[in-house]
Amino acid sequence: MSSIIQMHRLSKVYSLGESQVHALRSVDLTIHQGEFVAIMGPSGSGKSTLMNIIGCLDQPTAGEYHLQGQRVDRMRRSELADIRAATIGFVFQGFNLLSRTSALENVEIPTQYLRRRKLTESPRSRAIEALQRVGLQDRMHHVPSQLSGGQQQRVAIARSLVNQPSLLLADEPTGNLDSTTSEEIMDVFHNLNAQGITVVMVTHEQDIAQHAKRILVVRDGIIVSDTAVVK
Amino acid sequence: MKFLLTTLRTALRNILRNRMRTLLTMLGIIIGVAAVIIMVSVGKGAEADINQRIGALGSNVLMVRPGGSSSHGVRLGADSWQSLKLKDIDALKKHCTQIAAVSGLVRANGQFVANGTNWPTNMEGANVEYFEIRQLKLSSGSFFTERDVRTSRKVAVIGATIAQEVFGDSDPVGQQFRFGKQPMTVVGVLASRGQSGMGGDQDDIVIAPITTVFFRIAGDSHLNQIIASANSREVMAAAQEEMTTVLRKEHKVRGENDDFSIRNQSDILEAATSMSRTLTMLLSAIAAVSLLVGGIGIMNIMLVSVTERTREIGIRMALGARGIDILLQFLIEAVVLCSLGGLAGIALALSACKVLEQTVGMNTILDITTILFAFGFSAMVGVFFGFYPARKAAGLNPIDALRYE
Repeated sequence: MSSIIQMHRLSKVYSLGESQVHALRSVDLTIHQGEFVAIMGPSGSGKSTLMNIIGCLDQPTAGEYHLQGQRVDRMRRSELADIRAATIGFVFQGFNLLSRTSALENVEIPTQYLRRRKLTESPRSRAIEALQRVGLQDRMHHVPSQLSGGQQQRVAIARSLVNQPSLLLADEPTGNLDSTTSEEIMDVFHNLNAQGITVVMVTHEQDIAQHAKRILVVRDGIIVSDTAVVK
Repeated sequence: MKFLLTTLRTALRNILRNRMRTLLTMLGIIIGVAAVIIMVSVGKGAEADINQRIGALGSNVLMVRPGGSSSHGVRLGADSWQSLKLKDIDALKKHCTQIAAVSGLVRANGQFVANGTNWPTNMEGANVEYFEIRQLKLSSGSFFTERDVRTSRKVAVIGATIAQEVFGDSDPVGQQFRFGKQPMTVVGVLASRGQSGMGGDQDDIVIAPITTVFFRIAGDSHLNQIIASANSREVMAAAQEEMTTVLRKEHKVRGENDDFSIRNQSDILEAATSMSRTLTMLLSAIAAVSLLVGGIGIMNIMLVSVTERTREIGIRMALGARGIDILLQFLIEAVVLCSLGGLAGIALALSACKVLEQTVGMNTILDITTILFAFGFSAMVGVFFGFYPARKAAGLNPIDALRYE
C-alpha cells in the first residue's frame, strides 16, 4: 500500500512576542492510502496544528512533508491552494456552509477553484452526484438554515467530495451533533473510506474515535501513542 | 471566462443581499456620475449657444474701428480718433480682392416717434452691403437700395422690437415716423434675431442709408466703424492684411501707430468659447470631486464587507481558492457596484437634462462620448477604490479567517 502522507521530523514553532511555543516537536508520521485515522489529544496538544499542516493550510517550521509523493512544505501559497482544491476535502466542526446559499451552490464552490485536473463532468452534475452520495438529493435547493445539523454536515461532506479528493480531513465533525446524528455521519465516513478515500479525523470523543481503524494520540506536540483499533 | 461568470454572479448576489446598504453606497457614485454628465452637457450646450449667436453675426466678418488718439499727451482711448471716412469705403472696395462686401457704419441715438407713441433706440447708417455682411433677413417690406444711399433718401428698415413696441400688430411698412427732427418712412421690418452673444437686444434697431444718417441726422464727418466680410473664413487673415495695407496708405500712416484697428469675428468667437469651456472644465472638476467622494464610500463599504465575510473568505481558501481568486471576487464586486451606480447616474443625468431643457429652457448637449467617459470613469473608481479592500481580503491567513467569529 502506498503512503499518502509522509512526515519526517516535522516541527512547528509559533513566536508569541518573546516566548516561543512549540506546537509540534519533530513529528514522524506516515499514513497510507485507504486508512481511516483518528487523531486525539487534549486541547493545546498540537493536534489542530498537525491537522492544519496535513491540510496544507499551514506550513511547518522545519522538517519534510510529502503529500501523495509531492513535497509540499516549501510550496508557495497559491500552489498550496491548488493542492487543497485538487487533493483534499475539508469537513469542519461548525459545518462552515455559506448562509443564504443553497446546498447545491455550496457544494459547487470548490469546482471553480479546481485548476490542476480537468474533470469531464460539469460542476453542476458533479455537485448533484456528491449530494446523492450523502443521501441529500431531495434537499438540494434548501438553504443551510432550512436543514438540520446532520443534514448541514452532510452537505459539507458532499462539498468536500465534489472535486474527487484522495484525502478527507475532518476536524471534530461530530462536535456540534447529537449522538444519533453523529453515528449517521460516521456511517457516511465509513462508506467513503470503503470506496477508497483516506479519512483523517480529529476528535476528542473516544466512542467516535473507535470508528476509525487507527488512533493517534498527540500530547505536547508529540505523538505519544499510535494504535490500531481492534474490532 | 467561466470563472468570471461565476464570480460575477456571486458579486451580484452579494450586492442584492444588502439592498439598503448597496443603494446608499451607490448614491455617491450615482450623484457623482450624474453631476459630471450634467455639467459637461450644460457646458457644451452653453458653448453651442454662444457659437450659434456669435456665428449669426457672420463668422467671416472683419471690423475696422478708429484707433485711440491723444491730445497734448493725454490718451483718449479707442474709437476717439475720427479717422474713418466715407472715402475709405470706396478705397477698400476698389483695392481689396479678398473682400466680398464692405459697408460703413454710423450710429446715432434718438427717439423713434410714430403712431402716437415713441421709443428710444439706436439708428445705424449703413451701405446696402451691410444686410449681406450681417446676414439680415426681412419679415416684411424690403431693404433700402443703392439708389436710396446715393440720394440720401429718408427711408429705414426697423427691427422687430420697435415694430412691436411702436406699431403693435399693424404693419409698419409704409408708415411715417420721426427720428430726431427728421420725418422718415419705414420700408422694411427685419426678422427677429433675439439676443446677441453679449446679451443685447439685436432687434432694437433702425437701419437707414449711411448718407441719410451722415448728412441729415448725425451731421458728423467720420464713420464709427467699417464692417466687411471676407470671401471665405480661410482668407480672413489675408483679407485683414489687405485692408490694413489699403487703409494705412489711405491715411498716410507712417511707422507703427495705426489710427485704426481691425478685429475679426472669429477672435471674439474664440474668446467667448474658450471662456465657456474653462467654466465647463471647472464645473466638471468639482463634479468629479463628488465622484471621488463616492469612491471613498465604496472603499469604506468594501472594507466592512471584507471584515463581515472573513469567515467566508477562510472557507473559500480552505476549499482551494487562491489569493487572486479572492482578490478578483471583491474587486469585481466593487466594480459591479460602481458600474450599477454609473448606469443609474446616467439615467439620472438624462432625466435631469430633460427637465432643465423643459423648465429653464437651458440648452444641453448630451453626447455618447460624455456618457461612455462617465461610465468608464465610474468603473475605474471601482477598480481603484476596490483594490485595497480586495487585497486585504486576499492577504488573509486561511486559518485565522476560518476561526474568525
